[in-house]
Amino acid sequence: MRRHRMVRATIVIVVVAAAILSIGAAFGRQSGPPRQVAERAASGPAASADPIVRAQERLRLVPRDWRTWAGLAVAYLERGRTTADPGYYPKAHEAVRRSLALRPDGNADALVARGALANARHDFAAARRDALAAIRLNAYGADAYAVLADAETQLGRPTEATAAVQRLLDLRPGLSAYARGSYDLEQRGALAAATGLMRRALDAAMSPADIAFCRGQLGDLEWLAGDLSGAAEQYAAGLGADPRAVSLLRGRARVAAASGLLDAAIANYADVTRRSPTVGYLLEYARVLRAAGRTGGAAGQLALANDAQRLFVANGGVDGLTAAELAIEAGRPSDAVTAARAEWARRRHADVADTLGWALHLAGRDAEALRYARLAGARGALSATYAYHLGMIELSLGQRRAARANLDRALGRNPAFSPIDAPIARKALAGLGGAR
Amino acid sequence: MSTTASRGRRRRRAPAAIAVAAVLAGALYGFAPIDAGASSHREAPLTAADPAVDNTDLYAFVSKDRPGYVNFVANWIPFEEPNGGPNFYPFATDASYYVNVDNNGDARPDARFRWTFRTQDRRGTDTFLYNNGPVTSLDDENLLVRQTYTLESSFNGAPFKTRISGAPVAPSRTGPASMPDYGKLRGQAVVQLPGGWKIFAGQADDPFFLDLRVFDLLYGGDLSETGQDTLAGYNVNTIVLQVPFKDVALGADAARNPVIGVWTTTDRPRVRITGGDSYGGQVQVSRLGNPLVNEVVVPNGLKDAFNASSPDRDAKNPTLVRRVTEPEVPKLIQAIYGIPAPATPRNDLAEIFLTGITTKAGGPIKADLNSQLNNADVSASGFVPSEQLRLNLGVPVAGQPDRLGVLGGDLQGFPNGRRLTDDVVDIELQALVGAAQTGKLVDALAAGDKVDANDQAFGAAFPYVALPNGVGVNTAGSGSAAGSAPSTSEKPSAEAPAPSLTPAGYAGNADSGQVPMAVAVSAVGTAGVLALALLFLIGWWRRRSRPAPITPGSTDQTLQL
Repeated sequence: MRRHRMVRATIVIVVVAAAILSIGAAFGRQSGPPRQVAERAASGPAASADPIVRAQERLRLVPRDWRTWAGLAVAYLERGRTTADPGYYPKAHEAVRRSLALRPDGNADALVARGALANARHDFAAARRDALAAIRLNAYGADAYAVLADAETQLGRPTEATAAVQRLLDLRPGLSAYARGSYDLEQRGALAAATGLMRRALDAAMSPADIAFCRGQLGDLEWLAGDLSGAAEQYAAGLGADPRAVSLLRGRARVAAASGLLDAAIANYADVTRRSPTVGYLLEYARVLRAAGRTGGAAGQLALANDAQRLFVANGGVDGLTAAELAIEAGRPSDAVTAARAEWARRRHADVADTLGWALHLAGRDAEALRYARLAGARGALSATYAYHLGMIELSLGQRRAARANLDRALGRNPAFSPIDAPIARKALAGLGGAR
Repeated sequence: MSTTASRGRRRRRAPAAIAVAAVLAGALYGFAPIDAGASSHREAPLTAADPAVDNTDLYAFVSKDRPGYVNFVANWIPFEEPNGGPNFYPFATDASYYVNVDNNGDARPDARFRWTFRTQDRRGTDTFLYNNGPVTSLDDENLLVRQTYTLESSFNGAPFKTRISGAPVAPSRTGPASMPDYGKLRGQAVVQLPGGWKIFAGQADDPFFLDLRVFDLLYGGDLSETGQDTLAGYNVNTIVLQVPFKDVALGADAARNPVIGVWTTTDRPRVRITGGDSYGGQVQVSRLGNPLVNEVVVPNGLKDAFNASSPDRDAKNPTLVRRVTEPEVPKLIQAIYGIPAPATPRNDLAEIFLTGITTKAGGPIKADLNSQLNNADVSASGFVPSEQLRLNLGVPVAGQPDRLGVLGGDLQGFPNGRRLTDDVVDIELQALVGAAQTGKLVDALAAGDKVDANDQAFGAAFPYVALPNGVGVNTAGSGSAAGSAPSTSEKPSAEAPAPSLTPAGYAGNADSGQVPMAVAVSAVGTAGVLALALLFLIGWWRRRSRPAPITPGSTDQTLQL
């Protein structure tokens, strides 16, 4: 335990320090002599294709270019997304600030970037406001609709979300639109159509990071359908394009765990969480450790997850959903209910309904829990986890027939949906006279 | 700790749950968690740029090596790093790339050329490399990823007809070890079609040259720190098409109707997710005619609308028209350099960007150069002003092209079409401060961005663009353009097999000869052209005496749009 505390204290200090230092590093470079850059560009093979570097170089040449400041912010957010490192958020924030300082009015680019940052920090209401303000300035701005679509989706306003995605597709078909269209279809249970659109996104992807993203999503769609080997193939193909893509490494780890290869899964998760010590990954790692009987290790990862959540909050993030998950994992269901309720007040996404329902169930409030667990699946999302939670809640309420149907559904969708929950579902189903 | 807490809670469970719990394994159930990653919401890429479909530059010019033919060069995917392997830069396979030609001035395309690409990926699962050893020909086994394309054309609204399919794309240049003789590969990608057409698609040195710091002007900065070609060393994906004048001229008669307007568009299929997913129709995601329009002319909030729009709507777009006739850049220049911004509305700019230079649209430039209104068979009533790159095919090819084009007294250059060597940054800067209507270059801006030529020499023969940059390329600009030593790529059309496809309807006229230049020029008014030439012949930068400024047309002469 002491060792874990030391590790986690070190990680927090290092990560926070890195976040703080990198602000200075990113913006301190602006003052460098522009001549140097130009000479480099003129005297040898061109500089980086890295969008962050390119935006920085352009800003050294054209420091008042408020659009590129906004572009730099988006580039930071993209890097934060692909590396799962929230340390990029403060940098993005600073770049947005510079853009708005240079051009306070009529700056749709900065509003889009600020909205994207708000989405990344889970402040979806603020993201929605910024996106709508950007659309008022530029009704043809596809990126604003992408930010709006993400915000409406997470706020649990499915009609508005679908409309925003459709508008995005009408304005600018391409990777960004296809990916969001795919997710919209997936949430409605249209897995085949979602897969088709994500393949289209893959066709449109050019950068290794984008290819990796699409492969990761295709893998996750295979996973949802319970095809572990199909998922593994997609993750492997994506890792070929970008061997450091954390979401793919995580996908591979999850498949290993689901395949019963717990040692491999543990090694993979150790790698994933070393690269990206974020709450979701640490929680999964803890879970796999627990499934393997390593409760001490699991507790250590859980402690790290709590620190990662503090870091996320320190970086301006708001995330009651993760707080609820952490409380559930720590065996504090009433805290989980409080956190999930607060999140539900902010947004009505299916994931929040699912977590709130499960937290209520664990707190022994099954009658209330049932309502939320039903809401989670109401749009048709084919999540094995939603079905499992609903089934277990129905079981607690003595609704054996419904429970049996939902547990059967969960295992039918993905027999290995969780290394811990799937065996429980199987036993519960057997106890109900069903079999999977 | 968590174990204790959960055990405490478990005792409070409802009886039914306890009964079931008895069949469950151990204590695990009590704190069974949410499934993986439920907290991290789905985050998809947010891409402001879509380089595979965003057209960066369009050129339209006649080359002296093949009179009677016009060349179109269109570029996508800027900032390609040389030797970027294992990265490479494919054309989008889900997009359609178009070159559109309007020869009667109604702002609608009369000739359309459409490229669609396919990728053959032979890598399997054991490698992610672009090539697997040296590539010495386009069909080399070692080239693992290949693209081919189909070119179709449509004239006067007729259905598209396929001119060739399976034409090879010149690959991304991955390095000297992988591609020891890139010029040979380039040569194999040059295809000659019946009807005299030549086509090329593939990687090339980005022919655009500028110092990005010139854009500091747009943000209130001055031009004190310029002079480096920011794009030096980068590659781009390019499409080059060479067709006879008669295939694009109104009535197939470039003598009577020498003026064409050109723009590119890129489309992607429309996708619907409401009511299931379905496809149908196309969405235009990019549009480009004149250079730098998106940077200099179209206002910030209008850029996306412009890219989605068609030229026939331009005149109905008051914001766009106002942006041309009430430009912002001259005001910025006035603030920095004290050069008075010309009075508005700027109908001279409307001529350059929206009508072509003509005396027939009421504009102030007293010359007839490149408006479709000057085509003999165009009726003024059907003319619709729109943003196009306009080219008079009949202007004789310049022996020594002037980088300042028309403003430098060289009528064959921008804004009369656009050659690879035209210094469009400096030309547009001068035009914006009024040089086209005063006939006088503005001294303080004479140096422009101080980048006067591309870093790589262009070729003297098709496809004209320079080979892509590779290892060891010294990108210090040579400065000279025409007549520079052609690379190994300049002799390829002979060794490229000419596909047997016959372009329907045009085979009979293949290579039927060139348009008589004198006739073509007179078709738009020899006097006007000569006057224009006189107007711009003398430049400050040559330290010659300046002509008396021509009085601009009365500034209340609002363009009739």
